[in-house]
Amino acid sequence: MYGPIVEVILKLVAITVAFTAILMIVAYTVLAERRVLGFIQGRLGPNRVGPFGLLQPFADLLKFILKEDIVPDKSTRFVYFLAPVIAIMCALMTMIVYPFGPNITLPWIGNIQLVIARFDVALLYVLGITSVGVYGIALAGWSSNNKYSLMGGLRSSAQLISYELSLGLSLVGVILMSGTLDLYRIVELQSGYVWGFIPRWNVGPQFLGFIVYLTSAIAETNRVPFDLPEAETELVAGFHTEYSAMKFALFFMAEYVNMLTVSMLATTLFLGGWNGPFVQSFPILGVFYFLIKIIFFLFLYIWLRGTLPRFRFDQLMSFGWKFLLPVAILNIILTATLAFFGVF
Amino acid sequence: MVLNGWEAVFFWVFSVAALVAGLLTIMARNAVHSALFLISSLVSVAALFILLGAEFIAGVQILVYVGGVMVLFLFVIMLVNVGAEERGREPIFNHTAQVTAAVIFGLLLAGGLVYALNQGYKGMQASDRDKIAAITDRREAEQQNMPSAATGTFRITKDTERVGGSLYRYASLPFEIASVLLLVAIIGSVMLARTVKQEASADDVDPEVLKEAIAAEPELAKLESANE
Repeated sequence: MYGPIVEVILKLVAITVAFTAILMIVAYTVLAERRVLGFIQGRLGPNRVGPFGLLQPFADLLKFILKEDIVPDKSTRFVYFLAPVIAIMCALMTMIVYPFGPNITLPWIGNIQLVIARFDVALLYVLGITSVGVYGIALAGWSSNNKYSLMGGLRSSAQLISYELSLGLSLVGVILMSGTLDLYRIVELQSGYVWGFIPRWNVGPQFLGFIVYLTSAIAETNRVPFDLPEAETELVAGFHTEYSAMKFALFFMAEYVNMLTVSMLATTLFLGGWNGPFVQSFPILGVFYFLIKIIFFLFLYIWLRGTLPRFRFDQLMSFGWKFLLPVAILNIILTATLAFFGVF
Repeated sequence: MVLNGWEAVFFWVFSVAALVAGLLTIMARNAVHSALFLISSLVSVAALFILLGAEFIAGVQILVYVGGVMVLFLFVIMLVNVGAEERGREPIFNHTAQVTAAVIFGLLLAGGLVYALNQGYKGMQASDRDKIAAITDRREAEQQNMPSAATGTFRITKDTERVGGSLYRYASLPFEIASVLLLVAIIGSVMLARTVKQEASADDVDPEVLKEAIAAEPELAKLESANE
């Protein structure tokens, strides 16, 4: 249809737009978190910079850039620099496979797919890249040459390895139902209604898997109530104790991008992605449905942070291994049995 | 398969990266650095798998080796090796005899590999030429019918489905044997690593065994009474 150069330019535009949109969502998630937490705790939250505090993220960014960047004297220099890069890179790399909406037709440009890269093993790619993200945290803890950082890094890697298992297994049910790892196809399979009004989303038949996924996703992103790596009372600030200025900001951003990623994956796999009323006639609506579902998950995260206390480390481990993992396996067995008898 | 254009560039970049990282793995002084180089080597090999059109294997390579096995390696090295930095650096080449032996065996292995690969390749070319040509033709014909990927660079394949199908249809027995073997290894390592003391403190030991253990080591009685 077009020459290869036009294709490349289109892809670059798509990547730039997606990247900017994601960073803006992340910036405003941070602001929303502070405002919502303020509301939950009966105070105001940041509201001075710009109307309703809307320019606060940019003020924070400026502060991070202008602060002094301190490198510990006895640190392993190269690895110390590498760790935040790995963290943010692995967080951002998974963005390319999520379908933001159905195929839409634009004037002049023609038919375009609202996904940056669509390929056979998209889900496997997401899991693989997410599992590499552990290195950012583990190496940050090790290279800082600080015992609190090291303990934070080790705790965090132990936590991520444990919960990654339940996370991966909780997705197997969805894969069994749809028979593909291609995220676009998985979303397509969730369109339509049961009995005319209940959306055919995977969250219904995969309710167990959804709960297990949601819980282990919170643990994977190191959020309350599973934010043990950053337990201030025990570990100062955990793996990023020795990081300052923009390097700290990269870790901070990586955490929020990861929140966004797991929300997008949950939306895509369990809540029908861009599916919703009237999407067939107005495909552009799909993007808004997708955004609304993501915002729901992000709000859930903030809500949990304002509500729940922190786990103890041994509770965290036994919860992951002795409760979540068996439930995830039970879900696989149930789904496989039902799929064998052709229920789906 | 003849490589040309960008494929050739990527092939050379990643294969040189894999080899150099592999060399640095055994030459690095710090165990954590060795682990990091091994990780980069594994990632480069995953990239080579993608060039071969085996995305599933590449994904599994990243997920299992980079994301699983190497994290555990690093974990252990970081836990065990905390004081190593303070002992000072030790020279790489300790003994001339060791290095000579390693070089000789390395060269022998490389020579053997090159010979075997050459022979095998020639033999395969001679005996299976028609089959290979037929398979290549069929692949290409199939690829024309597949929906194109969003990137436009290649098409969405059905390789994952094929791997899964053949793994469970034709190779389910070896697959099960391998899983049982891994299970035995896991249980065995837990058996070896856990001491009676640890089990007693977790209140997870057979009373009969505990009596014998207390007879051998009276300190365990304290743990036992602490649990009650």
